[in-house]
Amino acid sequence: MKRRMLGLLAAVTLASTALSACSSGNDAPAGGSADDPVSLRIAWWGSDSRHAYTQQVIDLYTSKHPNVKIDVEYASFDDYWKKLAPQAAAKQLPDIVQMDISYISQYAKNGQLAELEPYLNNQIQVGDVSESVLGTGLLGGKQYGIPIGVNVLGFHYDPELLKKGGIDSIPADWTWEKYEEMARQTGSKGLYFDSGFAPDIFFNYYLRTKGETLYNEEGNALGYDDDKLFTDFFRIQADLVKEKALRSPDYLNQIKGVLEESDLVKGTGIGVFQWSNQFVGLQKAAARPLALAPMMGPDMEKGIYMQPSMYWAITNNSKAKEEAAKFIDFWVNDVEANKIIKGERGVPISSAIKEAIAGELDEPVKQVFDFVSEMEPKASPMSPPPPTGSPEVIAALADLIEELNFGRITPEQAAASFRKTASEVLAANK
Amino acid sequence: MAWKTIKWPVYHLFAIALAVLMLYPVLWMLMSSFKESRLIFVTAESLLPDKWVWSNYADGWKGTAGYPFMTYIWNSLVIVVLSTIGAVLSSSLIAFGFARLSFRGRNLWFALMMVTLMLPHDVVLVPQYVIFTKLGWLNSIAPIVVPQFFGIPFFIFLMVQFIRTIPRELDEAATIDGCGKLRLYARIILPLLRSSLATAAIFSFYWRWEDLLGPVLYLNSPDKYTVSMALKMFLDSESTSNWGAMFAMSIVSLVPVIALFFAFQKHIVQGMATSGLKG
Amino acid sequence: MLKRNTALRNDLTGYAFISPFVIGFLAFTLIPMFISLYLSFTSYNLFSAPRWIGLDNFVKMFTGDPKYMNSLRVTFLYVFVGVPLRLMFALFIAMLLNNGSRLIGTYRTLFYLPSIIGGSVAVSIMWRNIFGSEGIVNSALIAIGLGPVSWFGDPNAALGMLVTLSVWQFGSSMLIFLAGLKNISPEMYEAAGVDGAGPARRFFRITLPLLSPIILFNLIMQTISAFMTFVPAYIISKGEGGPMDGTMLYSLYLFRQAFMFNNMGYASAMAWVMLIIVGIMTAVLFFVSKYWVFYESEGGR
Repeated sequence: MKRRMLGLLAAVTLASTALSACSSGNDAPAGGSADDPVSLRIAWWGSDSRHAYTQQVIDLYTSKHPNVKIDVEYASFDDYWKKLAPQAAAKQLPDIVQMDISYISQYAKNGQLAELEPYLNNQIQVGDVSESVLGTGLLGGKQYGIPIGVNVLGFHYDPELLKKGGIDSIPADWTWEKYEEMARQTGSKGLYFDSGFAPDIFFNYYLRTKGETLYNEEGNALGYDDDKLFTDFFRIQADLVKEKALRSPDYLNQIKGVLEESDLVKGTGIGVFQWSNQFVGLQKAAARPLALAPMMGPDMEKGIYMQPSMYWAITNNSKAKEEAAKFIDFWVNDVEANKIIKGERGVPISSAIKEAIAGELDEPVKQVFDFVSEMEPKASPMSPPPPTGSPEVIAALADLIEELNFGRITPEQAAASFRKTASEVLAANK
Repeated sequence: MAWKTIKWPVYHLFAIALAVLMLYPVLWMLMSSFKESRLIFVTAESLLPDKWVWSNYADGWKGTAGYPFMTYIWNSLVIVVLSTIGAVLSSSLIAFGFARLSFRGRNLWFALMMVTLMLPHDVVLVPQYVIFTKLGWLNSIAPIVVPQFFGIPFFIFLMVQFIRTIPRELDEAATIDGCGKLRLYARIILPLLRSSLATAAIFSFYWRWEDLLGPVLYLNSPDKYTVSMALKMFLDSESTSNWGAMFAMSIVSLVPVIALFFAFQKHIVQGMATSGLKG
Repeated sequence: MLKRNTALRNDLTGYAFISPFVIGFLAFTLIPMFISLYLSFTSYNLFSAPRWIGLDNFVKMFTGDPKYMNSLRVTFLYVFVGVPLRLMFALFIAMLLNNGSRLIGTYRTLFYLPSIIGGSVAVSIMWRNIFGSEGIVNSALIAIGLGPVSWFGDPNAALGMLVTLSVWQFGSSMLIFLAGLKNISPEMYEAAGVDGAGPARRFFRITLPLLSPIILFNLIMQTISAFMTFVPAYIISKGEGGPMDGTMLYSLYLFRQAFMFNNMGYASAMAWVMLIIVGIMTAVLFFVSKYWVFYESEGGR
C-alpha cells in the first residue's frame, strides 16, 4: 500500500515535471546566444504602488532587451505564499521570486532555489556591495538570494508628541532602564510610548546585545541557554502593560494590521519600534514629521544588524537562469531603474546606486537613507536567516507573550514553555 | 378585529426595525465609502460622514496597478457566469438521478458525494494543483470553471431534497404519457424545481464572485485577476492603504450580486404553489 | 432475462444522469483524496519527499498537542451553539418574509444583504470596529447596564463574537427555508383541515412536517460547513486564532499547519480526523431523520 501510494505520488509529480518542461515561459534553451527570444516569469508581493513601479522597471528592462519578455505575477504578502507553495510542489515556480527572510531557508534547503555563486560578478555585478550585506543571502555558506535592500531596527517617533509627553528628546545612548522610565512618564500623561515589540525580532535583538542569539548557528536548537534572558526581557513590557503605561493586548488585537488605527497615527502614541523600511509608510499614514532614533542599549552595536528587506532569488525550476541573473543585475546596478524604485524595497545594496539616487529622494526616504548610513558602520553581522520551522517557533512565542501580557502566566512559565516547544520544532532540522 | 387593522403596520414596523439592526454593519460599510480615506478609522464610531466625498468611487474605479477596475469586474463576471450555468445545470441533472431513479450503487455514490464535502479543502489543494498543471490549465480560468460542470454537492443535495417533496403521482402521469426519463426531468421536474434552481444560482454566483483562493492559485497574469483580488490590492499592510477606494469598490462589487439576487428571488417564491401544477 | 435487462437499463439510465459527478469525482477528487490519506501517515513539508512515519501524526494530535485539542473544543462549541441559533433565526425570518406584502421583495433583499458581504476585508474591518472597545455593541451593552465586554481579550467572548457573525450571515439558510415554504401549497392546509386553526397549530401540524426535508438539508449542510468554518475566524483574528486561541477553529489550525508551518503531513492527518468526525455526525443526522422527516414523494415516512 505504502509503496503504491508513493508510486502514485511520484507519478503525479513526475508528470508535472515533464509538463513544466514544455510549458510556456521556460523553453529558452540554456546557454543560447544573447539575442535569442527568452521569456521570464517574475513574482513578488506588495501593494498597488509597488506593482506599478515594478512594472515600469520591467518595461524599462524589456525596452533595452527586446528579446526578453517578462511575465509578472503579484499578490499581497499572505496570498503570495499561498500561491508559491503549490507552485513549488508542482515545479511551477517562476524564474525569479521575491523571497522573505522568514521563508528563504525553507525554499533554499528544499532545493527550490538556485545557487547564485556562478553568476556573481558574471551576470550579477556585486563590486559595489559590501561583503556583510551580500552575506545576508548566504545559507550554509551558499548564496541563495541577492538582498534587494537593507533595513535596520530603530524607534520611529513623533518629536512633538514626545515633548508633549514631557520628554525633550531621545537620549543618544539610552538604555532599557531609561526606556521604562520614559514609558511610565509619557503613560502618566496619557500618551503610549510605543505599541509593543514584535517578540521574535526584538528578543533576538536583546539576545544579541548580550552576545547570544535566538537560534543557534545550525538552526536546530535555541541559541541561548539562560532563561533569565527571556524573563528579563519580556518582563519589561509585561510590567508596563500591567501598569497601563502601554496598550493591553486586547486593544492591540483589535487594531492589528491596520496602520491607520495605530496610536501613533491617531495621535495617542509617540512611536513604534520597527524596521527602517516601514518608516516611509508610517510617515505617510501619520502625515506629520517623524524622526528615527537608534535602539536602546547597552551594547546597541552588538545588537543591530543590516537585514535584507527581501531578496531576489532564482528558482531551480528556471530554464533561463542566466537571463534571470541579468535582470537581477539590472535591478541592483542600473541607475535609471533605481530612480524609479526610489528605495521602496529598502536602501539599495550598491553604494554607487545609493549615491547616484541620493538627490532624487523625498524627505522621509532621505531620512531613512541617512539613518541606515549612520547605523551601517556600527552594525554587527547578521545571524543566519531563521531556520526551517521558525514560523511555528515565532507563532508559539507570540502566543505565549500574549498570555504573559494578559497576566495569565508568569515570565518563568512562558520561558520554560517556549524552550520546550521551540526545541521540539527545531530538533526536526537535525 | 382590532388586530386585523394594526396587523400590517405592526408587521412593517417590526420588519424594518429588525432590518435596521441587521443592516447596521452594511450601512457602516456604505457610509465609510463616503468618508475621506484617512478619516475612516478616526471617525469609525460615527456612522454619517462629516463631509460627503465621492472621490473614493472615482479613485477606486481607476483600478490598481494600471488596470481599470472594470477589467477585474469583467474577469469576475466571465468566471462567475460560466461557473453558475455549469453548476446549476449539472447539479439538477445529477440530483434527478439520485432522487428519482433507482440503480445499483446509488447510495454509495451519494455517500461519496457527501464525503467530498467533509474533507478540508486545504489538503487536496496541492495534488489538485498538480492535476491542473498536468492538464496545462494553469494561468487560465479552467481550473476554476470546469469543475463546476461536474456538479456541486451542496446543490445536488439541495435539489434532491426538493425533488423528494414533489409527489410521485406527477411522474406517473408523465410516464403514462410516454415520457422518457430525460423528458420527465426536462418537462416535469425541472419546472417544479424552479425555486431551488434560483436558490442555487444565487449561491453559486455569490460564492464564485467572492472566491479568492481559486483565482490566487490559478491566475498568474494580472490582466486575469478578479474583483476579490483587486480589492486586496488597495490595501498595504506596511503603509497607508487606500481604504476609501477599497470600501467604495466593495460597495460597487456588491451591485452585480444584489442585482442578480433581486432578479432571481421572485423565482424562489414562485414555488409549486404558484406554478400551476399542484400536488 | 427480461428482469435482468430492466435492471441493467435502470442502472445505465441512473449512471447516465449522475455521470457528471462520477467523472468529476474520478478526475479531480479521488486521487487527491488518496494522496492526502497517504500523506497523513507521513512527515511532509510540501517541498521534499514525504517520509513515512506511521501513526505518529495521529498520536501527536491526541496526546502531544494541546493546541489541537483546544481547536477541537472551540470548534464543537462553535458548531453546537452556532448552528441551532442560525437555523432558528433563519426559519423565523423566512416565516416572517413568507407573505403577500408588496414590500416583500425588498425586505428579502435587505435581510439577505449581510450574507453577501461575506468574507471580504471590509467585513473584517467593520466587524472589528463594531465589537471594538468603543464600538456600538459595547455602547449598547453599557446602556442596558451589562458593562463592556472585552471581545478581543477574552477567548470565550471572542468565540461568542464569531457565533454572532455566523448567525448574522443567516441568509443562505433563510433562502432555502423560503423556497421550501413556498413549495407548501395552501391546499395542504385545507386538506389537513387545520385551515381555521391557530398559527401555532398550523405550524406544528403542517408547516414543520412538510418542511422537514428542507430542515434536514439545512441542518446537515450547516453542520458540515460549521465544522469547516474558516473565513470568519481568519479575518477576525488576522489568521492567528487569538485571543489566546479563542477563535482557533479546527480549519484555521489546519490551515496554519498546512501552509504557515508547512506540516502538510500533520495537516492531512487532521483533515482525515475531521472527515471521520463530520462523517459520524452526518450519519447520525441521516439515521435520526427517519424518525422525523416526512417525504411527500415517498408517501410519508
